[in-house]
Amino acid sequence: MILTAYRVEMSKVFSKWRTFIGFLALAVLIPIVVVGMSMQGEQFFKFATAGLKDNFDFTGHLLNGYAVAYIIFSSLYLHVPFLITLVAGEVLAGEATSGTYRLLLTRPMSRATMVNAKYLSALTYTFLLVVCMAALSLGLGIGFLGTGEVFIIRQQITILQGDDLMWRFAFAYVWAFLAMATVASVAFLCSSLVENAIGPIMTTMSIIIVMTIISAIDVPLFDYVRPLFFTNHMNSWKFFFDDPVRWDRIVPSFITLMLHIVGCFAAAHLIIRRKDILT
Amino acid sequence: MLHPVIEIRDLHKRYGSFNAVNGLNLTVQQGDVYGFLGPNGAGKSTTIRMMMSLIAPSSGSIKIFGMDLHSRRSDILSRIGAIVERPDFYNYLTARRNLELLGQLSGADVSRPAIMKVLGMVGLDARSESKVKTFSHGMKQRLGIAQALLHSPDLIVLDEPTTGLDPHGMVDMRDLILELAADHRKTIFLSSHILPEVELTANRMVIINRGQAIIEGAVQDLLNAGRMKVTIETPDAARALACINASPLAKHVHSSTDGAVILMLEKSEIPDVAAMLSAAGVALYGIVPVRSLEEYFISLTRQVA
Repeated sequence: MILTAYRVEMSKVFSKWRTFIGFLALAVLIPIVVVGMSMQGEQFFKFATAGLKDNFDFTGHLLNGYAVAYIIFSSLYLHVPFLITLVAGEVLAGEATSGTYRLLLTRPMSRATMVNAKYLSALTYTFLLVVCMAALSLGLGIGFLGTGEVFIIRQQITILQGDDLMWRFAFAYVWAFLAMATVASVAFLCSSLVENAIGPIMTTMSIIIVMTIISAIDVPLFDYVRPLFFTNHMNSWKFFFDDPVRWDRIVPSFITLMLHIVGCFAAAHLIIRRKDILT
Repeated sequence: MLHPVIEIRDLHKRYGSFNAVNGLNLTVQQGDVYGFLGPNGAGKSTTIRMMMSLIAPSSGSIKIFGMDLHSRRSDILSRIGAIVERPDFYNYLTARRNLELLGQLSGADVSRPAIMKVLGMVGLDARSESKVKTFSHGMKQRLGIAQALLHSPDLIVLDEPTTGLDPHGMVDMRDLILELAADHRKTIFLSSHILPEVELTANRMVIINRGQAIIEGAVQDLLNAGRMKVTIETPDAARALACINASPLAKHVHSSTDGAVILMLEKSEIPDVAAMLSAAGVALYGIVPVRSLEEYFISLTRQVA
């Protein structure tokens, strides 16, 4: 039954135009960035490395597909969650808004099956969006600019060779899926609480914005709550580009994100199973 | 031998201190077209939602096909087709696609011919590829019937099925209900505000008010019980009235006009009145019982109120 329900949910998700907004946004934005970088990327890198010129001599192929994919990853990472909420926030509340809970929940399947199928469909959408982001940024980046080293300036300067990068990107994109699945789970929980489709989208966005702002403010009081915010762990993909990989930072972030995912899903389950359908 | 299809016992639904359903009992037998009547706010929709497992009862039991709804929900719902209140669908999908997806979840045959057949039954086959957002309320109502019939259920629950239908649509719906009951031996639970519809289609009914059953029984038995309004149509109303006033029926005169005298009579008294007026030489156009379920319904619910 779960497979049938999942197929039905996927059919519904991919019959709505809003589902394609995210793919369309990525399909427009990433090629623009890649083309822009291929035309004037040298200036970008000159500007980025200007402060280091006194101490370092830069040679080699800094402007390459990997570097552009890394930049796109960093830039889009904060914006993709908004695309995720458009679908995940609507998946339950949309049924309430349109009055179709009555149709759906009078079918011979348990509410648990319905919730599972809907959650899986939200995760599938999330997965496809991350795959789309990966394929476009890496595919177009390498296609236009070839491969090369990536020069990463964070607390330390790391230079990663081209043959040492693909597996790091693979882990980073898996992490991106985990982080976006957390956003989808929060939106899914919000979606179970209300009966209009806009509410969960706005609420999830607000949660992300508030947590991001609080995380960015360097006040000792916030040091206690910051580790609890999932937004604070979404950026841990960057540790895959440290050499050696910072597993000591990645593992706690993984646990925190997983706790959010499981907690939100379990709460949504409980709410829907006990909900009186009055719409 | 007939078996109860629906058995509701001491059903309650409370919202805070408000009792939406307050100790409801009813039994629907196999093959019944069962009218479920009540004024707005009587608890009809709440009862149907509990029967369809959309809301949980506060207490009481619902058995359908002899199975407890709480423990055998999926088994029961696989044998029920329902329209619950408004006919809402996925507006961004076509009529056929809506039925295909809903049918898959019900385990129905969702082949194109099967869907077109059921769309044909409700007169929507020509619009099968139109998106539901282009449908009128009446068309959505027809599509609601189609989705309720798609998996050939044994019990069909129809909540206000003719709302939004034009007169032809209402007649078609009535014929469809009668056909489903007579030819396909379906049991039909029909909630309606359009009381002649129940009168013309149902064999048994219950009237509820304030969450309780006021009366339950065979439609004709209930309609024929007690006094009803009878209009005596005559060109000589004054003479007819004088004749009646001189008889023991005088106390049952309700009103009179130039062309009619209206009495409150029991059904068995109608032939006596006809004979009396005929013997007195009063010309008659007709004696018309105007007792409708509507009047019966209003008088009953007023009594309780």
